[in-house]
Amino acid sequence: MAQLDGKRLLACCANGAGSSLMMENAIKKVLKKYDIKPGELRHCAVSEGKSAARNYDVVFCARTFVKNFEDVTKNGTVLIPLKNVMSDKEIEAGLKEAGLLD
Amino acid sequence: MATVLQTIVEKKHYRFIDGEGVTWQEAVRLSAESLVEDGSVSSDYYKQIIACIEKYGPYVVFDHNVAMPHTTENATGAFKTGIGFMVSEKMIDFGVDEDGEKKEANLFFTLSSVNPDEHMNNIQQLSNIFMNDDLLDALAAARTPEDILAAEAKYPCEEE
Repeated sequence: MAQLDGKRLLACCANGAGSSLMMENAIKKVLKKYDIKPGELRHCAVSEGKSAARNYDVVFCARTFVKNFEDVTKNGTVLIPLKNVMSDKEIEAGLKEAGLLD
Repeated sequence: MATVLQTIVEKKHYRFIDGEGVTWQEAVRLSAESLVEDGSVSSDYYKQIIACIEKYGPYVVFDHNVAMPHTTENATGAFKTGIGFMVSEKMIDFGVDEDGEKKEANLFFTLSSVNPDEHMNNIQQLSNIFMNDDLLDALAAARTPEDILAAEAKYPCEEE
């Protein structure tokens, strides 16, 4: 379960002030549960995230914003779209599905 | 420290509406009214929220018919960090999301964000409230500020 250690994680929403913060908090819960130390965890607006995403290993966003990140997945960034941005369970499941969590 | 719901009651940042025939745009305006009254936001702050929802869709409506209308941190017209709470007796129609799923809300937590620490604290507490279905049901049934406090006393969120 060390696949996520040192990885750079980004949470994006429309404004970088509401749901992305909720996502960041939920991600923190999952990291804590598995005792993972990420290289970086931050949140921002989709407008910034579009260009910043290539520098991250994993990007989380609400499903609405998936189309903004189609390009970055080509460069190996893992995109995890969420239906409920504050659900740590959904984040956990998404990471497992991506093979980043055992 | 006071919880966000206690602060909402203390600062009179609440509205209770019937909601019959109210559009989501009008509901967003009404939900920010209590923040306008004490100078937390400007009288046209709500227009930025509407523009944002028009641009990105009803992503601010979460599970359990909870809406969290907001803009960016330090938006024009945001003067104090706060939460405008509103209960609508009737569901407010926000249209459909990207999957064609109907989005509607009867609980509103409209955000104004200026102070990052206060805002972070608000968001953390709101995350816990939004995952607490019993509390949300009780809040949706609230018709007075006393009801808000009673709902929280009955269904408190677990401390992190």
